Amino acid sequence: MEEWKPNPAVKPHKKRSWYLAWKYKLMNQRALRKLCQTGAVLFLLVTVIVNIKLILDTRRAAYEEEEESAQDYDDEMLNVEAPRHPINNKKVLDVEVYSSRSKVYVAVDGTTVLEDEAREQGRGIHVIVLNQATGHVMAKRVFDTYSPHEDEAMVLFLNMIARGRILIFTIKDEGSFHLKETAKNVLKSLGSQVAPFLSWRDMWTFVGKKGGEVYGEKHAKSPALSTWGDPVLLKTEVHLTSVEDAECHWPDTELNRRRKRFCSKVEGYGSVCSCKDPTPIEFNPDPLKDNKVFDVPVAVIAGNRPNYLYRMLRSLLSAQGVNPQMVTVFIDGYYEEPMDVVELFGLSGIQHTPISIKNARVSQHYKASLTATFNLFPDAKFAVVLEEDLDISVDFFSFLSQSIHLLEEDESLYCISAWNDQGYEHTAEDPSLLYRVETMPGLGWVLRKSLYKDELEPKWPTPEKLWDWDMWMRMPEQRKGRECIIPDISRSYHFGIVGLNMNGYFHEAYFKKHKFNTVPNVQLKNVESLRKDAYETEIHRLLGEAEVLDHSKNPCEDSFVPDTEGRVYVMFIRMEQEADFTTWTQLAKCLHIWDLDVRGNHKGLWRLFRKKNHFLVVGVPASPYSSKKPSSVTPIYMEPPAKEEGAVAVPAVAAAEQT
Amino acid sequence: MQKINRNVVLALLSLTSLVFLLFQLCYYKLYLSQKNGAAFSKVRGGQPGQDSTRWHVVRKFLGLLSSHNIPVYLIDPLILGLVDKDLEQIRSSSDGPSPECKYFCAPRDFTTFALLDKTWKHEVGLFRTAEKMGFQWLKIINKDPRLDGMDDLSGMEIPLHYIFKLASHAIHLVVFYERSGNYLWHGALRLKQHMDRKFVPFRRLHFGRYPGAYEKPELLLVSIDDLKVQIPKNPSSFLEEMSHSRFLECRYREARAFFQLYPDDASPDSVEFRKKAKSLLHLAALTLNNLGVKFWLSSGTCLGWYRQCNVIPHSKDVDLGIFIRDYKADIIPAFQKAGLPLKHKFGKVEDSLELSFQGDDVKLDIFFFYEEDDHIWNGGTQAKSGKKFKYLFPKFTLCWTEFVELKVHVPCETLQYVEANYGPEWKVPLKTWDWKSSPSNVQDNGVWPVDEWDDVIQIY
Repeated sequence: MEEWKPNPAVKPHKKRSWYLAWKYKLMNQRALRKLCQTGAVLFLLVTVIVNIKLILDTRRAAYEEEEESAQDYDDEMLNVEAPRHPINNKKVLDVEVYSSRSKVYVAVDGTTVLEDEAREQGRGIHVIVLNQATGHVMAKRVFDTYSPHEDEAMVLFLNMIARGRILIFTIKDEGSFHLKETAKNVLKSLGSQVAPFLSWRDMWTFVGKKGGEVYGEKHAKSPALSTWGDPVLLKTEVHLTSVEDAECHWPDTELNRRRKRFCSKVEGYGSVCSCKDPTPIEFNPDPLKDNKVFDVPVAVIAGNRPNYLYRMLRSLLSAQGVNPQMVTVFIDGYYEEPMDVVELFGLSGIQHTPISIKNARVSQHYKASLTATFNLFPDAKFAVVLEEDLDISVDFFSFLSQSIHLLEEDESLYCISAWNDQGYEHTAEDPSLLYRVETMPGLGWVLRKSLYKDELEPKWPTPEKLWDWDMWMRMPEQRKGRECIIPDISRSYHFGIVGLNMNGYFHEAYFKKHKFNTVPNVQLKNVESLRKDAYETEIHRLLGEAEVLDHSKNPCEDSFVPDTEGRVYVMFIRMEQEADFTTWTQLAKCLHIWDLDVRGNHKGLWRLFRKKNHFLVVGVPASPYSSKKPSSVTPIYMEPPAKEEGAVAVPAVAAAEQT
Repeated sequence: MQKINRNVVLALLSLTSLVFLLFQLCYYKLYLSQKNGAAFSKVRGGQPGQDSTRWHVVRKFLGLLSSHNIPVYLIDPLILGLVDKDLEQIRSSSDGPSPECKYFCAPRDFTTFALLDKTWKHEVGLFRTAEKMGFQWLKIINKDPRLDGMDDLSGMEIPLHYIFKLASHAIHLVVFYERSGNYLWHGALRLKQHMDRKFVPFRRLHFGRYPGAYEKPELLLVSIDDLKVQIPKNPSSFLEEMSHSRFLECRYREARAFFQLYPDDASPDSVEFRKKAKSLLHLAALTLNNLGVKFWLSSGTCLGWYRQCNVIPHSKDVDLGIFIRDYKADIIPAFQKAGLPLKHKFGKVEDSLELSFQGDDVKLDIFFFYEEDDHIWNGGTQAKSGKKFKYLFPKFTLCWTEFVELKVHVPCETLQYVEANYGPEWKVPLKTWDWKSSPSNVQDNGVWPVDEWDDVIQIY
């Protein structure tokens, strides 16, 4: 192939020829060439493999690292939050309402929102309020309009409902007997055509929008007095509005955001949800000067009575010296609405899943609440314990601030309570006066941490004991002769009617006429004289200056106490031993004060007011103050009416359950 | 044809190889920059922009908090470490401008601050302002451990960590809660499923891998790099505390299950015993802490904590463990001064030391633990025979926990510790317990020589 080389004419081929020559040369060394080629291929293959491996390695390393970091910081409890289905997309709700003698139910879009077929329960008009934009149930009530005054409550409720809400009515059993004209007119104004003519044992269902259209109404007349109307089933459609239309347009502040959340969920709280000038939800009461209870945690014990809780928290947050950060609401049960109320006021709330029944449940709820309170505020030496059915006096914290040091320093004290069991309108007078009493009143009180942690918590009654916590706390094994400090005029007011332990009559008789302090900044009198020994000196001084009343008169008569003001009187009753309260109970009964069990005594002495005079009652000879009795005076003895014993026994049980 | 093929193949292979090589290079660089951002920024440390970013972010953050009156203090280990070296100088220096940005510009990804929960009101306004200032923020909430011990209480979840991110720097705000036992607690940082796990490199945070327990620190207001900031008064002891701050929560759920099986003894005797044991433990903790001696709950007391979160009412005594290297001669006089007379002393510092003090009806036993290469042991002595026993434990480290309103140590590896001591059946309560034969980790260890008895068996 040498002859190729001397061919310079073909210039462009020169390079190529050089290449070819090189190739040729190589070709000549075939073996070497082959080797090089294979070597190159091998080398390339190895490079490729190494590359792939490296990429895989780095990838895995990076992945592992990520994985690890994720695992380290992952919540072990993978709270898979079920996505909430927005029902907003739907424009129309199917509503079914059923009314009959023994059963009512309401279904919204196939979901039963009310079903009541219990016997002897749920009689009257059931009302359900739906949010017109979301279709959520905002309130559920039943008004037993067979009974008196329930229709008034219903009118009140219906008036509170915001315009535009969807109202569903259905009657169970009977709902017309005490349904008065006013109530019927309100129903008529909602668009009901039947309501004005509702009569005995009629069945009735009605769906309408407040201040707007009617979606449907059905009625079945009762053919005769002894029979009920036929069951009626109303099926209708409700058109939803947009969310914007269903909300008020309050200025966008943190408070109003809370309000908005609350008002779109629940109904029946009146002006707090008014679009125009809503009631404030922040109160900013004047701070207390030198507030000794600013750092004391406040535990509010609540059940499922959100309207009560709402009223209670309003009064609590309006009290001077309140520190909202220290307030925790403990809700007995997994209820939403009380929690909504708590969040409305920006407080913290804790729900307690019930573990036992009735009274034992209350008792366990108390224990859990108290323990949690001291856990959450480990620095606290005390805790204020309140219940959801109390109004709190404007000077509640001022009262505690002035007296709490006694609880810290005087070992003979068991508690400070805001409630005077005997402080009725006609028996309490002096907002600056305090007493020591052997009975623990509860209803707004202060508990010392050491008492709870060292004594009460370790032996708190277990659920199977079914004990009332307050009765248990009053037992001598727990109280150990210690006393509570109470004011003459209560700093709390018990407004609860419908509770586990309450009925209407009972409340009317024993709680309604209780005196409640409304004066702010009361300067307490002589707080130091409440200490154990000082108090004895004080009592002796009082008894020394007291005028002995005419023991020949009937102590129940008004004339027993002279028509004076500001004097101190004493009377002596028979009290054979420490536990002999026969005469006292009769006296309490005729004075219309707490007589269901013995309250408010201190060593056989009771202190109250009659006709604006301080009125002392000494039990002779059991009381150590008996020595003050002039020898000429015979202690008064009042016999219990023998026949009424059975009648007395019933409220006595109720008394045992009073908290 | 064949030749061409071969050439083509060769060329193709070289090309692939080249592509791979390039790819690999890119990948490697990417990987490096991801992994060692810190390392890279260290290299870039000289660039003033990067440094001052950190300082600016910290300054903005401090401004944000002070505008909302929220007091925070610096707990960043890196900065505190630097500060600690120049503490005297920083303390004494006046407010004059510092010549260089020495601390807050130090290369790092985060700056960590602490916030005491009770000093602020959880205002939403803070976050609005933060957003306006350009911060992105992340809030990590979880269950409130203070309610964990309670039956069936469900409170609101509490915020445990906040992370504020601005530009390339992030602020980690750890929320501390006061707990029973007079200490501060912070929670672990755990991301919920929907959270952005790339928000910051969580793994590099200094706080949050475990929950931690701390003493309430004394604070000092200083001016560092022209920023006024609160720091722990003694940064080095804070850093020391931080390195052993891991906290274990009591196993409340298991304890509840235990009480379901074996109802608690609420007789007056056991209530009384628990009360006394609690006050003895408080007194012992006070005494030992004053001496600076590290101790932990041992034997029955540890079992009580682990199994039922309470003192075992029939256990009759309180047991503590101390490493022999922490032994101090003042221990005995200190206890006597505290009103706890020495009841007996067995063994000697070199071997099987054990002290017993008499409390009010309740005995306090202190066992000293000897560390070997692969295990830890403590000794026992039978007074009448001079017999020695040895109790073996696997190696363990110490964690904080809360017990009867006290912050105390327990072995972190509690299960192994309890199992070594009480065997696999530790969940079953036993009323009779013989310390010489019942423990599953007991070994005979010979007899004390008679001539040493006076020294190694002292009974008062």
